[in-house]
Amino acid sequence: MKKIMALLFVIGLTGCSSTMVAPGPKQSWPDTPPDLKIACDDLALVDENTAQLSEVLKVVTANYSQYYACKDKVDNWLEWYATQQKIYNSVK
Amino acid sequence: MFSWIIELILSGLPEWLWPAVAGVGIIIYCFAGIVGNFPAFKPYAFFIKPLGFLIFVLGVFMFGGAGVTAIYQAQVDEMKAKIAKAEDESKSANSNLQTKIVTKTKVIHDRQVVVQEKIKEVQKQIDAECKLDPAVPKILNDAARNPLKVAK
Repeated sequence: MKKIMALLFVIGLTGCSSTMVAPGPKQSWPDTPPDLKIACDDLALVDENTAQLSEVLKVVTANYSQYYACKDKVDNWLEWYATQQKIYNSVK
Repeated sequence: MFSWIIELILSGLPEWLWPAVAGVGIIIYCFAGIVGNFPAFKPYAFFIKPLGFLIFVLGVFMFGGAGVTAIYQAQVDEMKAKIAKAEDESKSANSNLQTKIVTKTKVIHDRQVVVQEKIKEVQKQIDAECKLDPAVPKILNDAARNPLKVAK
């Protein structure tokens, strides 16, 4: 009888080591600014029948702008990643 | 999953319940001990005594489990608060970045408009003094085409 009682005491105390753990909250995937989700355009092409330098110049300068817009997008992605990573790592 | 369902049910119970159950178990156990001294009730006491002890063990077990669960729940609540704060920070950072993107895009666009206007101003002068070889646009376009798309 004493052994049974001791066993029951042990069972009783195992409640303290219960492993019924509630599922932990999940951090949702951070959203991105809408403008970053737009892919960069292809470079503009020159009309192959043109003989005017001004037409070529227009396309070339437009492509320079295109490059800077795309470079800015990459820079913004890098900034977004660094910021979100810092915020994500702060949750521990 | 099963343990989580039990957890949900048990979490609605008051904190005092399981110590009370253990207390009731002790009372039943002691009561059976007293009653067992009377010969007429001795057979009943024989069954009631272990029952009281089992109720006591159940109360202790559940009280211990509830204590551990409360600790975990406090940790979960703390984590939820941290996540909510992080999500607010994330939204705020995105909002700031979006504002910067709009500003910088406008600067790039405005610069392009100015450059195109300058070209228009000197267009006749440029075209009068220079005639392009037909190979120029072709070479330029070849360079402008995405080599990764061309290779497909």
